[in-house]
Amino acid sequence: MRGALEDLVSTVGLEVRAFATPQEFLQSKPSDAPGCLVLDVRLPGMSGLTFQKELAKEGLGLPVIFITGHGDIPMSVRAMKAGAVEFLTKPFQDQDLLDAIHTAIERDRKRRREAVRLGELRERFATLTERERQIMTLVVIGRANKQIAAELSLSEMTVKVHRGQVMRKMHAGSLPELVRMADRLGEPIATS
Amino acid sequence: MEARFLRARDGTYRWHLIRAVPVRDAEGNILRFVGTSTDVHDWRQDQEALRNTQCEFAHTTRVTMMGELTASIAHEVNQPLGAMVTSAAAGARWLATEPPEMDKARRAFERIANDGTRAAEVIRRIRALMKRQAPIKEWLDINETILEVLALTQYQLHRSEILLETRLGHDLPLVRGDRVQLQQVLLNLIINAIEAMSGIREGPRELTIVSAAGGPDTVSVEVSDSGTGLAPEQAPHLFEPFYTTKAEGLGIGLSISRSIVEAHGGRLSAAANTPYGTVFLFRCRSTNRPRSGVSSWSGSELSSLSSTMIHRCAGR
Repeated sequence: MRGALEDLVSTVGLEVRAFATPQEFLQSKPSDAPGCLVLDVRLPGMSGLTFQKELAKEGLGLPVIFITGHGDIPMSVRAMKAGAVEFLTKPFQDQDLLDAIHTAIERDRKRRREAVRLGELRERFATLTERERQIMTLVVIGRANKQIAAELSLSEMTVKVHRGQVMRKMHAGSLPELVRMADRLGEPIATS
Repeated sequence: MEARFLRARDGTYRWHLIRAVPVRDAEGNILRFVGTSTDVHDWRQDQEALRNTQCEFAHTTRVTMMGELTASIAHEVNQPLGAMVTSAAAGARWLATEPPEMDKARRAFERIANDGTRAAEVIRRIRALMKRQAPIKEWLDINETILEVLALTQYQLHRSEILLETRLGHDLPLVRGDRVQLQQVLLNLIINAIEAMSGIREGPRELTIVSAAGGPDTVSVEVSDSGTGLAPEQAPHLFEPFYTTKAEGLGIGLSISRSIVEAHGGRLSAAANTPYGTVFLFRCRSTNRPRSGVSSWSGSELSSLSSTMIHRCAGR
């Protein structure tokens, strides 16, 4: 089955790597290109669903397509809830699998792009001083300069200068943009 | 010597056990024979009836066991079928490219042929296990026998999330035995192992199968699991008929397995596995016969051979 799948996917010009076991996959060098995983629900030593969970835990968020001999509804529901792109029952139409793979790769491309952007945001955020972070946190929750100045016992002018620095360092063109950035940064803002 | 050549009063042939010793003179010339002829017909028939009953019983348990493997068997047939469908799609796609990728298409068709053969092979093996027939002794490669059984239980192992490890010895001497019966023993041990591990929540679930040469004329097979293991009070009763630790068990599997192994001149035993689980070990008699040029003797060939001998002796 593995050989047949490998061949089918390569007919549309995609690069395929086949692994006999989850362990083999984990020991392989992860690819930098957007991709997806096609998993049988039954894997040697571990169920596909467990493997999907493990991968998510490790931060290897590759989109997953499941194929199964005889999948039942609860099983497919669990898989889809855990983020599977598609759940195909053997024997499936070749086009269905290829479509699912394209969708999954597209999803992974977006995810990777998003990850890069988030990385950049984090880097920018890291260049902020302690004071600037404090002020950014207050700005994004909607405090006016005057309130911030009072809260931190600073002059309004100083707050303004810091605020300008924050906007410049974060590459934010407007307040709503800064708010969205803070939203995406999530954790680091809350802890600062 | 036993022969069936003496007629009873009603004209039917009956089995007799004939023993004779020559009476010689001082020079060693045979003067005459002194002997006995015992009618063993009823005894032989009882023996045969017993063998038939045992054979039938083994068959019934085998069929029951196969019932537990239905999902596995369906999967085992479905797997090559699914691969064939996928390969056919890939082949058609290679032919539809411009220009057509003939080599790749050809490889896809070769895969289809191989998978088709594989599916047919699975069905042939299952039919052999389901058939009721008298044991046929032949020279067997024990590893081949093990792998055939594993193919049927693979799916069950996957489903129970059990990791399978096989360590099969190289160039083992051949074992003389009935393929179906030995497979029945293996199936029984594997199914028991799966069941013993289905209850455990933590710790690894591992099934290990090891084959090795166990001395000059034995081959040993070890089936070990990391399951719940045996309580000390269970161990002595394990092979007793109708002794079971399972809620739905009949307590027949292991006792039949033991009698099968003993009929093969071997022994089946159980011990605790470390750190947990159980090990079953069976030894079968083998020979130092070279593996090449082995001809398998079927039971019917053998019995016709011995009966011609009987005729020759009787004719003298």
